[in-house]
Amino acid sequence: MIEARSLTKRYDDFTAVDGIDFTVERGETFGFLGPNGAGKSSTMRMIGAVSPASGGTLRVLGRDPEHDGSAIRQRLGVVPQEDNLDLELDVGQNLLVYGRFFGLPRDEIRRRTAELLDFVQLADRKDARVDSLSGGMKRRLTIARALVNTPELLLLDEPTTGLDPQARHALWDRLYRLKQQGVTLVLTTHYMDEAEQLCDRLVIMDRAKIVAEGSPRSLIDRFVEREVVELRFGAQNGLPPLDDLGSHVEVLQDRIVIGADDGDGVVDQVHARGLHPETVLVRRSTLEDVFLRLTGRSLND
Amino acid sequence: MSAVARTLSVAGWQADAYRRVWRGSLTVSFLNPIFFLVSIGVLLGTLVDRSDPDLGGLSYLEFVAPGLVAVTAMQTAASVTTFPVKAGLKWLRTYHAVVATPVKVRELVAGVLVWAGARVIVACCLFVLVAAIGGAFTSPLAALAPLAGLLCGLAFAAGLAAVSSGTDSDQWLVAIFRFVLVPLFLFSGTFFPIEQLPDWIQPLAWATPLWHGVALSRDLATGELDGLLDTVHVVYLVVFTVVGAAITVRACEVRLRR
Repeated sequence: MIEARSLTKRYDDFTAVDGIDFTVERGETFGFLGPNGAGKSSTMRMIGAVSPASGGTLRVLGRDPEHDGSAIRQRLGVVPQEDNLDLELDVGQNLLVYGRFFGLPRDEIRRRTAELLDFVQLADRKDARVDSLSGGMKRRLTIARALVNTPELLLLDEPTTGLDPQARHALWDRLYRLKQQGVTLVLTTHYMDEAEQLCDRLVIMDRAKIVAEGSPRSLIDRFVEREVVELRFGAQNGLPPLDDLGSHVEVLQDRIVIGADDGDGVVDQVHARGLHPETVLVRRSTLEDVFLRLTGRSLND
Repeated sequence: MSAVARTLSVAGWQADAYRRVWRGSLTVSFLNPIFFLVSIGVLLGTLVDRSDPDLGGLSYLEFVAPGLVAVTAMQTAASVTTFPVKAGLKWLRTYHAVVATPVKVRELVAGVLVWAGARVIVACCLFVLVAAIGGAFTSPLAALAPLAGLLCGLAFAAGLAAVSSGTDSDQWLVAIFRFVLVPLFLFSGTFFPIEQLPDWIQPLAWATPLWHGVALSRDLATGELDGLLDTVHVVYLVVFTVVGAAITVRACEVRLRR
């Protein structure tokens, strides 16, 4: 569906995307995980054929966005980072107007509108003003709008940023259903739980480059130990030497993170040394830990 | 889907959005021109006519009414392509949503201008109808004055869209209204022949689209067409429109397709 080779995006003297390679296959859910400013949105805009690449090659749905942008966009659905619904129109009109941009006949759009509003659980809001919708509802409407042309490929840029946990889960559920229907999803996120929940495969981006690629599980297996022990020692000068515990020790501002295959064993050893951390947490490793290991920074810094 | 169909889908979108707010636009596009026609054309006009001014044999009402067609066009166009364009690009970002669809930037701009043209022609026709009932025209060709209004309105729509899309600060638009549109309204030959102006200012009037719109509309309304001069008016207004549209497309490309 998408093939990028040495894809680059420069703004004046700033390089937002620095020669990245990736491929997205039909039917999979593919993610770009990385902190703000990593180049995820710039990449999405190039895929969406609204931002010309500065270098490298990009094929979307077998075409070149540079020359066939309109034809590519005909088959795409786009959920942008910032909602840009038309606040002057009601919910149903937003879909009607958008469908006409794709050249769909009114009757077909009306039929789709009923289906889509049902799908995003806004059927009872068809005549509501967009202004009156909550943040989560606006997001869901934006997703419905992106589906009006029955796209083969759905691009979602930070789909749940700014939503409360309940609205996020409602949205994930809808996306999961789309995935089951065979729609190819490409999303960016800086939430590792979002990437783990939804993505079959993802790339981790940092500072305009891809630093790792694989399924969430394989990335965790490849780069970090099975478990993580997090210790907090509170305010004190000088940290006790723990470097020999576990396989990897990372000292962060507020805590010490120890990667180990046997987390409880590490905790036992800490106690055996007469150390008493304020808090002790043993958990499974996540993509957050992969990111930390690869870049030395946490995702939401 | 053709470029024309995509352009019309944008104009259709603008029409749908307008359906909610059309009452508010009646002031600018309908009532204000009629108020000017009555207060200045009829009431002030009776005083002016007493001094028997040289208006080419026209009563003051007959002189002012065709000018107000062009003014109506200018003000209607300004309401379509100033703040709403800023909103689409910046405040509501709806233009960003449009260019994520098959619609191209130039089709978006063309669609907005088509809609501006539709608003202008409707406003001018309504005005001409009311003015005709009030006996403000001397020639049946006045029925074509809305076409002069359309050309004038498109020139303003394109020029103001270029300013709205090409400038960052909202202050520019406020300044344009205060220091460009209002002086044009007062000094472009609507209320008095520009020959009344000092000689050195007259070329300035020739450079403005409103003067060309007023002159063309007046020639139609009085039935006294001047082949060469009216061709110049038409060509000027068309060129102004094309250049304004081209600048708008360029500015929108920069903002929407970074």
